Amino acid sequence: MIHAENVSKRVQVADSELCILKGTSLEIKRGESVAIIGPSGSGKSTLLGLLAGLDEPTDGDIWLAGEHLNALDEDGRAALRSKLVGFVFQSFQLLPGLTALENVMLPLELRGDRRAAKVARDYLERVGLAHRLDHYPRQLSGGEQQRVALARAFAPQPDILFADEPTGNLDAETGASVNDLLFSLNAQSGTTLVLVTHEPILARRCARRITLSAGEIIEDSGEVVPA
Amino acid sequence: MNHLRWLMREWRGGELALLLVSLVLAVTIVSGVAGFADRLQRGIVGESHKFLAADLVLKTPRSLPDSALNKLPAVVERALVVEFRSMVVAENAMELASIKAVSDSYPLKGELTVSETPFGAAQTTREVPAPGRAWLDSRLFPLLGLEVGGALQLGELTLIAERALLTEPDRGTSFYGMGPRVLINAADVARSGVVQAGSLVDYRYLFGGTEEQLQAVKASLQPELTASERWQGLDDSQPQIAKTLQRAERFLLLAGSFGVALAGVAVALAARRYSQRHLDTVAVMKALGAGSRQVTGLYVGNILLLAILATLVGWVLGLGVQNALFAMIRDLVGFSPPAGTLRPLLAGAITALLCVVSFALPPVLRLRSVPPLRVLRRDLGNESLSSGVSAFAGIGGLFLLMLWYTGSIELVLAVLVGVSAILGLAGILVLRLFSAMRRWAQGAGGVLKLALSAMVRRRQANAFQVVSLALALMVLLCIIAARSSLMKEWQLQLPADTPNHFLVNIAPDQVGPVNDWFERQDIDSAGLFPMVRGRLVTIDGRDVQEIPEIEANRGSVNREINLSWSDALPGDNRLTAGQWWPDASASLPRVSVEDEFAERLGISVGTKLGFRIGGLPLEAEVTSLRSLSWDSMRPNFFLLFEPGVLDNYPSSSITSFYLDAADKVLLNDLLRQFPTITLIEMDAVIRQARTVVEQVSAALELVLVLIIGCALLVGVANIQASLDSRLHENAILRTLGASRQLIRTCLLAEFAMIGLVAGLLAGVGAELCLYLIQTRLLDMSASWHPLLWVVSPLGAALVVAVSGWWFCREVIVAPPLQVLRRL
Repeated sequence: MIHAENVSKRVQVADSELCILKGTSLEIKRGESVAIIGPSGSGKSTLLGLLAGLDEPTDGDIWLAGEHLNALDEDGRAALRSKLVGFVFQSFQLLPGLTALENVMLPLELRGDRRAAKVARDYLERVGLAHRLDHYPRQLSGGEQQRVALARAFAPQPDILFADEPTGNLDAETGASVNDLLFSLNAQSGTTLVLVTHEPILARRCARRITLSAGEIIEDSGEVVPA
Repeated sequence: MNHLRWLMREWRGGELALLLVSLVLAVTIVSGVAGFADRLQRGIVGESHKFLAADLVLKTPRSLPDSALNKLPAVVERALVVEFRSMVVAENAMELASIKAVSDSYPLKGELTVSETPFGAAQTTREVPAPGRAWLDSRLFPLLGLEVGGALQLGELTLIAERALLTEPDRGTSFYGMGPRVLINAADVARSGVVQAGSLVDYRYLFGGTEEQLQAVKASLQPELTASERWQGLDDSQPQIAKTLQRAERFLLLAGSFGVALAGVAVALAARRYSQRHLDTVAVMKALGAGSRQVTGLYVGNILLLAILATLVGWVLGLGVQNALFAMIRDLVGFSPPAGTLRPLLAGAITALLCVVSFALPPVLRLRSVPPLRVLRRDLGNESLSSGVSAFAGIGGLFLLMLWYTGSIELVLAVLVGVSAILGLAGILVLRLFSAMRRWAQGAGGVLKLALSAMVRRRQANAFQVVSLALALMVLLCIIAARSSLMKEWQLQLPADTPNHFLVNIAPDQVGPVNDWFERQDIDSAGLFPMVRGRLVTIDGRDVQEIPEIEANRGSVNREINLSWSDALPGDNRLTAGQWWPDASASLPRVSVEDEFAERLGISVGTKLGFRIGGLPLEAEVTSLRSLSWDSMRPNFFLLFEPGVLDNYPSSSITSFYLDAADKVLLNDLLRQFPTITLIEMDAVIRQARTVVEQVSAALELVLVLIIGCALLVGVANIQASLDSRLHENAILRTLGASRQLIRTCLLAEFAMIGLVAGLLAGVGAELCLYLIQTRLLDMSASWHPLLWVVSPLGAALVVAVSGWWFCREVIVAPPLQVLRRL
């Protein structure tokens, strides 16, 4: 599903060049659940951004569902994301001017889905927020906001879900319930899950763990679980 | 995605409201002010036609044949005025009066003011005296010993003195209009038997109608006319008023275009804030699969829909503004506004479009380049809004707007220079200042350190804020200063004590007694000037009739000229060449010549002029040229000789003086004592001119109020633009334990510094702009405005500090967590 070969990312900081990722290669199969773990600054989020096609590597090649990302421009990658990818972010990234329902409808509307409202309502019901459809993000608690974000991520039924520290902004109890929901929805939809976290408990719930340190993969549990 | 639905959702975010208000403001200003200026202008022109009592006047010394008049288009309004001087006789007295006979349709424009009793309460009327009735100047009643209803003899006709006549719209357009007025019906002229063949009579045929109709009248009558008969329109009959109106129109356009500029700045600020607050939204949308074309479509569609909405709302408000302005000054302008035209509405719509294209779209369009990676790294994408391209687009749009709106490349260039100066200066100074502040901040302590660091941290946003505030302030200062200069110049042209009466034909033996009379009555006269009438016959020995170069100015020499003498240069005269009676003895008598007269006839210092005075020749040499102010209403002379030269020629004296309307009865005493002196009354003419100035000034004041409102709104948009980052930062400071007092003082200090710098820059820019506006646009002399340099920075510091604190007070009042969660 995802194939990265010798991927590097370097950025210019002041007068020197900083290497965030160093020649990373990996293969993620359809239906796999993969946790990318490692200390802060190890390059986890950078790798996630590259694999999701949100950023371009300095060197190396990435294939997403067989599409060579390097050959696509930003609009091409956006079109691919629209078809295949869902996201869950640490800071939820809900649009403050939209209600919970409208936030979930957004990715469906962007791809021109006429059943957007119905599907969104259905997913909000699945995450237990049927009574909060018309609430704005500022009227929801952190846990509720992340549940809306989960509904938004799963509603378009993506092939791959990228999650960046999904419970990083939540307390332990709320985080645990959001995690349960994430894995339950993932199991129902058979989505490939790529998750960045520094929480060992959350990482252990994934079938495979890739550990990064200073921009390099130092460990890959390599376990492959079929969908 | 449906654009309208997207707009509705975006609207709830709140940022669009500011953009909509700014756009509405732009459309309101243009459709309101342009419409108001347009209607006022047409109204004032209509009003000024009342000086002629018509749209077009034919002035002739003869009665036109009926055959010529019958050929005129029937739709054209017509009236006849016949003026002449004649004695009017009452039971015990007689008086030389200026008789004005008018047809029933007189006046075609304007109104008469009359009172039921002499010197009584004024009332307006569009009626004229019925045959057999006469309306008299108030002072004629005591002069003739008449009461209202008394009988008055004009030639063979007996008239009833029915009312007192206070003003007529077209008084002062005829020489025969000088002197106490008796208004009668035109039908009575023939019956009086006063007008005979060879009588000095001034006929004025008044016409009213559309431009085409008036052209048809001209075309129809032209073949019948001789060289001595001429047409009068507003421009050639009242040059001073025409000039006043022209300046007023330019000022209104100037104010309006500055209003548009301000609205443009407000739109730019609002669009920038809107874009800033949508960086995250666009990043999320892109991460969720929206392409840049889709993002562009949604946002451009949003802005265009907003522009349409703003245009509709702006039109309604603009019409409201027009009507409100007219309602406020209805009593002052004294005319009902002419109907509006579509042009200001079209102007409003085009303004909205131009504002959107040049101010709103550049920052919004750059949203498409926000990288989707921003969802993971919030520091990305901010730089996409700070490009100089939008500044250029904005300034380009501003000039297009102003050029289209004013049609004056000079005006736009004046603003261009001012804006470039302020931007250039701002760019250099603000950045220098910020780097200096960084150093000061290290050395400073407490609140000042915090405020300075805050300014340096947000230097890019602050520089933008300083520049836009400075622009708004500069515009405001320009308008206020230009208005003051204009008003001052108008008032200078017609000060309250402008002489409004002339006495001519004062015999040499009357000079002393007349001066005594002025002293007794405590009247300040302009002084008595001796006057000898003579003709200029040769220039450097050549007969003026045979000098081809002065052909076009032959009129200046084909008549008798008033010659005078003076020991000292008169107070309001200024030497432009030569010397005032140089010490060296000269072989010829010496003369000083008015410079424009000299230019027309090719006269310079050293030219020898030959005169014929009462049949006697006189040769003189020009020793100086002078400029003088004809508007001063004081006796002035083209040619002033040195004392003694004209002693042997018959002379009389002339003077002018100011007399209040309430004291006009004193004139009776003067004329009774000196029956041979001729009195010329200019007070009605001056009063009318002053009325126009007052009306125009009132309109300018109102437009100014509107522009001040715009500048304030720019200020608000400006402060709001940086509100989020300030709220965020101060909420964090409060979380860290900073006291409310500290935050408040820090905010006040930061905003005060922004205002101070902006005010200083605005002062410099405004001075530069004003120089160009005064010298190039308003035909005035340039002047420095030292007060600008003090008031502008201090005033701006105060206003920006207080309003900045007002808008940020939430961070002082609300719990910090609440503020942080909201942002």
